[in-house]
Amino acid sequence: MVEPAMQLVNVEKHIGKKHIIKGLNFSIYPGEVFGFLGPNGAGKTTTIRMMVGLMNITKGDVLIQGKSIQSDFKQAIREVGAIVENPEMYPFMSGWKNLIHYSRMIPGITQDRMKEVIQLVGLEKAVHEKVGRYSLGMRQRLGIAQALLHKPSILILDEPTNGLDPAGIKEIRHYIRRLAEEDNVAVIVSSHLLAEMELMCDRIGIIKNGELIAVNEVHEDDAMDKTQEVHILAEPLDKAKEVITASFGTDVQLKDNQLIVSLDRATIPKVIKELALQEIAIFGVQAHKTNLEDKFMAVIGENAIE
Amino acid sequence: MSNFLQLVRNENMKLYAKKGTWAMVIILTLLVLAGGFIAKFMDDTTTKEYGDNWREEMQQEMAEAEQNPDSYINVDKNTYYLENDIEPQSYGAMQFAYENTGMASIITLLTIIVAGGILATEFNQGTIKLLLIRPVSRLKILASKYVTVLLFALTLLVILFVWSWIVGAILFGVNGMNPSAVIYQMAGYAQVNLLSEIGIELGLSLVNLIMMATFAFMISTIFRNSSMAIGFAIFLMFAGNLVINFVGQYDWAKYILFVNTDLSQYREGFGGPLLEGMSLSFSITVLLVYYIIFIVASWLSFIKRDVAGQ
Ligand SMILES: Nc1ncnc2c1ncn2[C@@H]1O[C@H](COP(=O)(O)OP(=O)(O)OP(=O)(O)O)[C@@H](O)[C@H]1O
Ligand SMILES: [Mg+2]
Repeated sequence: MVEPAMQLVNVEKHIGKKHIIKGLNFSIYPGEVFGFLGPNGAGKTTTIRMMVGLMNITKGDVLIQGKSIQSDFKQAIREVGAIVENPEMYPFMSGWKNLIHYSRMIPGITQDRMKEVIQLVGLEKAVHEKVGRYSLGMRQRLGIAQALLHKPSILILDEPTNGLDPAGIKEIRHYIRRLAEEDNVAVIVSSHLLAEMELMCDRIGIIKNGELIAVNEVHEDDAMDKTQEVHILAEPLDKAKEVITASFGTDVQLKDNQLIVSLDRATIPKVIKELALQEIAIFGVQAHKTNLEDKFMAVIGENAIE
Repeated sequence: MSNFLQLVRNENMKLYAKKGTWAMVIILTLLVLAGGFIAKFMDDTTTKEYGDNWREEMQQEMAEAEQNPDSYINVDKNTYYLENDIEPQSYGAMQFAYENTGMASIITLLTIIVAGGILATEFNQGTIKLLLIRPVSRLKILASKYVTVLLFALTLLVILFVWSWIVGAILFGVNGMNPSAVIYQMAGYAQVNLLSEIGIELGLSLVNLIMMATFAFMISTIFRNSSMAIGFAIFLMFAGNLVINFVGQYDWAKYILFVNTDLSQYREGFGGPLLEGMSLSFSITVLLVYYIIFIVASWLSFIKRDVAGQ
C-alpha cells in the first residue's frame, strides 16, 4: 500500500458563523493527478488555503507526507509547491528576480535549477522582463516555475488554466501529466470545468457547499463492458435509427437531430461500422462518461451559489 | 541565521526595485541641495564671514542694529561671541550638515511611508500567499520586514549627513574636520562641537523616527492597509504636538507617547521636561512600554491570522 502524499482528515472551516468546509476526508497519492472540481463558491480555494497553511483549520488536520501542516508547518510545507488563486508575483521585478526571491527562501536551489524550471515552462525569452508586462499566460507559467523550484513532492494548482488560451491549456496539461508520471509528483488541480479535468486527472473529487460529494476514477469508464451514453449525428437519421435497433436491439432516442443510445464501450465501433456499411453518413459520434458527468451536472445544474 | 539574512536581502531587493523608493531618496537629496542654494545666495546672516578684526566688525554690527531695529543682526549672538572671546569660525560643510539635521523629520515621514507599505502591499498585490508558503516562520518574515524598514531609515540618515557635508563643502568650503560653532539653544547661545552635536541631534530624532515607524508598521500589520497606516502615523506625528496643548493640564498627559518622544527636552540648556513629573528615565520607560506594545501587537496579528482574499 502506497502512503498518501497528502491526507485530509475531517477538515472543517468556520469563518464567523459561516460553515464553509464541512468535514473533508480524502487522500492524494504520489504520481496521481487529483482534480478538485466544484462550482464557484464550493470551497476549493478555501480548502487549498488550509492545505498550505494560509488559513487555520477549524477542526481536523492536513497531513503532508505524514507531517501536520498545523504543528509541523516548516517540514510539511517544504514538500509543497503551490499557486493559490491567481499567480501573483512582484510586478516591478523581472521574472528572474522573482524566482531569485523564492529561491532564497529555501536552501539548496541553484541557478541551474532555476534555469531548468524556466526552460520547462518555456519562459526563457521573457524571464528578464518585468512581470508587470507579462500576459496572464506568462504569469501562469512563472507561477508554475515558482512552485517547482524546490522539486516539491506535492504540487497544488488552483485553477491553473484560468485565462489561458487552448494552446496554453494543452501545454499546462502536458507538464502536469509529465510531472506525475515521470517524477511521481502528487498533483492537485482545482477547476470548475469537467471536460478539462477529465483530460488531465486520474481521479476527480466533486465538492459542493464545502462537502465532498463524490470521488471518481476518470478512466474507469474505459472498461469495455461499461455502458455509456453515445450521441450520434448521422444522415439520414431515420434509417440510422432503424439500423441500430435492428442490428443491436437497443433502444434509440431521437433528440435535437441526434440519436442517443446507451451502448457498451466495446459495441461502439461495431455500431459505427454497421452504419457505414449501410451507407449512412456519420458526422459525429460522442461517448459521454455518464457516471461523473451526471454527478457533476446534478451539482452544477442547480447553478446555485450559496 | 543566514536564512534570516536572505530574507532581509529579499526585502531590500523588493524595496529598491520600486521606483517610489528611489523617488524618496532623490527628494531628500534635492531638498538638501535646495537648502544649500538658499543659504548660499539668499541668506547672508548665517554664512557671514568675519576677518581678523572680528571684534570691531561685530561691535559695529551691533551699533547698526541699535539704530535700525529691523536689521537682521543678531545682537545676542554677537554678545555671546564677544563676552566669551570666541573667534567666529567661517561657515563650512559641517555647519551646513548640522543645520540639515532638522531634515530628520522628513526622513521620519519617508520611513513611515515605507513601514506602512512594506507588509500591506504584499496583501494588496496578493503576493503574500506565495511568500507565506515557504518553510520559513511568519515571525521571521515579519522581522525581516521590520529590520528592512530600520535599515532604510539608517541609510537615509547616512545619506542626509554625507550628502549635506558634500553639498556644504562644494558651496561653502571645508572648515576643518571637527569644527565648533555657536548655536542657539532653549536657554540661550552656547558654543558646541558640531560633529558631536550632529550625532546627538540625529540620534535623538531616531527615537521619534523608530516610534512612529513602528507604529505605522503595527497599523499596517493589523489592518493590512498601507494608506491607513501611513495616514494614521502622519496624522499622529503632526497632531501629537497639538494634543499636548489641550491635555497638558491633566496628570495622565505625561503618559502620552508624543510628550515623551522628544528626549532633547532633558538636555542641559533645553528648557527641562515638558510636563511635571517627567524625567529621562520616566520617558525611556514610557517609550519602551509603547514600543513593546507596538511590536507584540504586530507580531500577534500576523503570526496566526488567516490569509484570505481581500
Ligand atoms: N474570508 C472569508 N470570509 C467569509 N466567507 C468566506 C471567506 N472566504 C471564502 N468565503 C466563503 O467560502 C465559500 C467558498 O469560497 P472559495 O473561495 O473557497 O470557493 P471556490 O470553490 O474556490 O470558488 P471559485 O470557483 O469561485 O474559485 C464562499 O461561499 C465564500 O463566500
Ligand atoms: Mg477559487
